Amino acid sequence: MNAGRLRWGDALIGSLAAGIVVAAFVLAYTPAGDARVLVISQAGVAPQHEPLDRARVLEVQGPAGITRIEIEPGRARCADSPGRQDICESSGWLQAHGDVAVSLPNRLTLQVLGTDPGFDSMHY
Amino acid sequence: MNPVAPGHPQAGSDAHDRAIAALAAIAIGIQILEAAIPSPIPGIKPGLANIVTLITLLALGWRAAVAVTLLRVVGSSLLLGTLLSPAFWLSLAGAVASLALLAVLRPFAPRHVGPVGLGIAAAMAHVAGQFLLAWAVIIPHPNLPLVLPPLLLAALITGSLTGILTAQVLADPRIQRHVHTPQPSQ
Repeated sequence: MNAGRLRWGDALIGSLAAGIVVAAFVLAYTPAGDARVLVISQAGVAPQHEPLDRARVLEVQGPAGITRIEIEPGRARCADSPGRQDICESSGWLQAHGDVAVSLPNRLTLQVLGTDPGFDSMHY
Repeated sequence: MNPVAPGHPQAGSDAHDRAIAALAAIAIGIQILEAAIPSPIPGIKPGLANIVTLITLLALGWRAAVAVTLLRVVGSSLLLGTLLSPAFWLSLAGAVASLALLAVLRPFAPRHVGPVGLGIAAAMAHVAGQFLLAWAVIIPHPNLPLVLPPLLLAALITGSLTGILTAQVLADPRIQRHVHTPQPSQ
């Protein structure tokens, strides 16, 4: 028996496996739909939905001060917030479905939503 | 009468059992050595112990491969202190999934499928089994599928490597003596 020789079954299994790997990458990492709406949720206040259609600046009054939210077509960000650690600002532009920025001092979350469900975070 | 090689299923249960015990001991040793090697990426390791499973499958048959693999999973988890921990169940789920796929492919070996094909199939099934258990029970997070593609890619690579190594080991004349497979000429 020549154990080292490749047979057609090896090629078939290898090709199938490679196809599964490629399909898995394509299926898992296809970008989720673009962000369409910014949801501003603040403790004690009904969530506010802002369409991401044109550039503008919103100011939300919270217990610790004013959170300034910049909206551009397809994305939004927390431009200025009273938190001392700039956690809200450092979330950067929210542009993929599910992206979140949080301002704890103002008891405020900003989340953009798109058309397709995406993911909000990954941990290892 | 030709003397039946040790490890041959017809050589008597003692010799067969000793062969399984020896192979399981080798597999446990490989698995523990591998556990000591730090992996650059969590969840990815070469799976060199799978070489022993493949050799057992090709030399002694599927039942022996099941025995060796289950002994390896339980034995190595006893020595590593992970018995009944999530790591143990993930290891067992991977082993059961790859043994199931090897049972399907066994009739095609060695005539149509060689060690490389079996190695790739076993590695992919191992990752799939582990992933299903992790997703269903241990970390039922809807975004867990995002870690699956890199794991499958790693399985494709490591499965090919273990298959090539298995072919190298099987080509050794000292192993050839024990190989019990229908010859392509028969």
